[in-house]
Amino acid sequence: MEQLTTSLAPPRNAPKPAVAGAHSESAGSVTKRLGNELMSLMMSSSPGISAFPKSDANLFEWAGTIEGPAGTVYAGLTFKISISFPSNYPYAAPTIKFDTPCYHPNVDITVGAICLDILQDKWSAVYSVQTILLSLQSLLGEPNNASPLNPDAANVWDSPEEFKQQLLKHYRPIDDTSA
Amino acid sequence: MATENLHRLVAARWQNSFTRLNQGQPGITGLLAFSEAWTLATDFLHPCDLADLESRKRFDMNKVRSSTEILSKSKMLPLLLENFLEDMRKNQHLITRDVEAFMARYEETADPQYISQLVFRLCEWYSAWCPIPELGQTILHAYMLNFQTHVFSVLPPSFSNGFKDLVSRTFDISRSSTPPPWLNVPSVFQTPDNPSRADYALWAAFEQLGLLERYESLISSVCYEYIESHILETCTGKWDEQMLKPLRDWMTDNIVPWMLMPYARGAKSANEARSMLQGVGSRFDFHVCKTLSDLRTREIFDIIVDYPDSVPALQDLKECLQRVDQRAQLVQTLRKANRKRLLHPGADTKDILTQYVSIIRCLRIVDPPGVLLFKVADPIRKYLRERSDTIRCIVASLVGDGESGDSLVDENEPIQPLQQMQVEDYTDPSWEPEPIDAGPDFRTNKPSDVISTLVSIYDSKDLFVKELQVLLAQRLLAITDGNFERERRNIEILKIRFGEAALQVCEVMLRDMTDSKRIDQHVQSQQDLPLQATIISRHFWPPLQAGNFVMPGQFKEIQDEYAKEFNAFKPDKKLRWLPHLGTITLDVVLKDRTINACVPPLDAAFLELFSTKDRWTVDELIAAVGSVDRTAALKALSTWVDIGILKEEEDNQYRLLEVAEAESDIVHKPPPTRPVPAAEEVPTALTVQQQQAEQMRVFWKFIEGMLTNLGALSLDRIQTMLKIAPNYNRTIEQLAAFMEAARREGLVTVKDGMWKLNRQ
Repeated sequence: MEQLTTSLAPPRNAPKPAVAGAHSESAGSVTKRLGNELMSLMMSSSPGISAFPKSDANLFEWAGTIEGPAGTVYAGLTFKISISFPSNYPYAAPTIKFDTPCYHPNVDITVGAICLDILQDKWSAVYSVQTILLSLQSLLGEPNNASPLNPDAANVWDSPEEFKQQLLKHYRPIDDTSA
Repeated sequence: MATENLHRLVAARWQNSFTRLNQGQPGITGLLAFSEAWTLATDFLHPCDLADLESRKRFDMNKVRSSTEILSKSKMLPLLLENFLEDMRKNQHLITRDVEAFMARYEETADPQYISQLVFRLCEWYSAWCPIPELGQTILHAYMLNFQTHVFSVLPPSFSNGFKDLVSRTFDISRSSTPPPWLNVPSVFQTPDNPSRADYALWAAFEQLGLLERYESLISSVCYEYIESHILETCTGKWDEQMLKPLRDWMTDNIVPWMLMPYARGAKSANEARSMLQGVGSRFDFHVCKTLSDLRTREIFDIIVDYPDSVPALQDLKECLQRVDQRAQLVQTLRKANRKRLLHPGADTKDILTQYVSIIRCLRIVDPPGVLLFKVADPIRKYLRERSDTIRCIVASLVGDGESGDSLVDENEPIQPLQQMQVEDYTDPSWEPEPIDAGPDFRTNKPSDVISTLVSIYDSKDLFVKELQVLLAQRLLAITDGNFERERRNIEILKIRFGEAALQVCEVMLRDMTDSKRIDQHVQSQQDLPLQATIISRHFWPPLQAGNFVMPGQFKEIQDEYAKEFNAFKPDKKLRWLPHLGTITLDVVLKDRTINACVPPLDAAFLELFSTKDRWTVDELIAAVGSVDRTAALKALSTWVDIGILKEEEDNQYRLLEVAEAESDIVHKPPPTRPVPAAEEVPTALTVQQQQAEQMRVFWKFIEGMLTNLGALSLDRIQTMLKIAPNYNRTIEQLAAFMEAARREGLVTVKDGMWKLNRQ
């Protein structure tokens, strides 16, 4: 009977390419690469970072979680991010943005866009979801104040008291149930 | 005026009556004759005591007849009848007295002969009081009714018991020509026309008194009981021959002749008798079938245990079930018996399987379409699915495990491929609809072979193939004489059943064994090494339990030598040693003695360490070989302690006995206090269960990942999301059980069906 019930479920569609105009012939290998990355991420158990596909039908859209590193103003806070992989991944970097408002010199407070070199010109195919997440985690504690997306945050960075105040003012944890 | 009229009316009536009674005779001679006739008739009919029955003889029957004629002409018979019945009522006490006397004696002794005497006595009364037939049917009938009413009203309730006893005795009487001494048939009832039957008189008496009619159901119940007791006596526990035919013969020989009396007494010819007996006869035949099927239903579990010796009993049952509708009862009884006697933790899985196979075979005899089997088998299959070792048992019997004598598989059954559940083929001209008592979920399974049925307990055969690999691994590694013919044969047979593709891995495993023999020969030809290796391909073998210890000293050197030769022979491959799977034969040369021993590698490794240093603690030894289980280490050491090469000292220290201790020392030594390690045989291959637990750990990581990032999820969602995980094949029920277990450990919480990670 179990067999019957499972086979009654409609067959899952092959993952749809996330970006229009994607090369469908390469989608298979991208899916495979993403599957492998997911597997290694799951098994690596790095503390404070995690990510998972938003649905089983589309491996190109992931949701991630980053916990603020201990010893920084972000300690104890949890940030949700969304990761969107292009169809030619890993030859192009994934698009990442913060879903939780993050008051940070290199993060746009309203749309959540991130300014990080490895996500733009310094991208390389050897990077993986795991390395991106680790980089983002360390970016929280060590912002690049030279090219700020949020100049206000860059200005108050040097006075942690004030920065923390601003941070908490903007921080709104995303409720679990809304996911 | 009125008086005048009245007077005239009375006079007319009077005249009318007078002419009727006087019958137109002159004067009153007619009247006188009538008066005489009336007196004679009433006198004659007067019910008197049996004691002065003789008085009746005095009457001149011609006179009586003529006087009744006169009365009949005068239309006075109704009045006569009334008078007669009144007289009867007045004299009823005579009968009552007799009935009470006989019944008192019966109640004292419980001997039915008094009942028979009572019956005959009542018949005497009956015939004594009976009006002559010339009086006409009406009077006779009224008399009979009146007499019976009275008799029945005075018979005490105990009479029916006595009557039953008496009837049950008639079975014996009917078979002899002379009545038994206790049955005193009064001479009046001895009928010369049917001398061959001793019970004729008794039945005739019953009929005369109307007992047959009144106690009809009682008589048939006596017969039912008689049949039942005969069947129980002859058929209980007798399963090795068909009983229905002998029973029917017995019915023909014994019951049918008896039935002639109560049911076909009036028959003039054999044909008439046959048609009279038909209805009641088929009722009795039904009862035979019902009794037999009830008996067999009660015994069904043991009959199945006795299969195939009990096949005749099953054929009986089949025939009976066609006549009586006891199928539901059979299912119920068997299910109950199974639950009580089979499906409990005390029963061995192997026994359950054997019984299940027997049930399959037995019920296929009883009910070829398989409806009964489907209903009975369902709980067994469910139960077997829950047992962890079911697959192993089935697989073991598939490959014909030597240890158990009887295999589940019939040797004569042709080996055939597994059958899939078939879809009904309505174009088949011999198609038949499902039997009427088939449930909605009944699936017609064509009579398939036993193995297919067993394998279908599980939804996929993959589980079997996996278990088969584990079992094969164990068996192959256990073979030391290099004779793999048996395994090869098994695999060939299994290929037919499961298909080539499923057994490819097994093929590789088998080839590994033969290949390693060849490789070993090559290595030995290059360099004479005391090591013989079995080389297996990690990819194709089920995960073997890792033994993480390293062989020390000379063993290591030999291994390295071997590996070097192997690498030269097969440069693209690398040897990884699994030392715990081997055995080592070694000579231990000590100062005063040489001991030859064949031991597991760990034992040898420890002893090797003692050649560098005399004293070791257990912890030191374990550290020196890598990581081994402490229990395993103690067990290995105890081997040498038993042989007398090592000696255990305080603080877990062991000392090498370079010189054997004096015999007396050993004798006086207190018995060793070390805990006796459990000597369980370590299974060499991970069982399917262990592999599954390993996989579940991976899946947990995925569940953790999705719950962290996607928030609370429903069970369905988790199940579909897990499809991302490699090799995920659990059912949602399994997942639910797993999540429930995680909840108990406090890893997750659930609210309104949504699962959520439990954050501290």
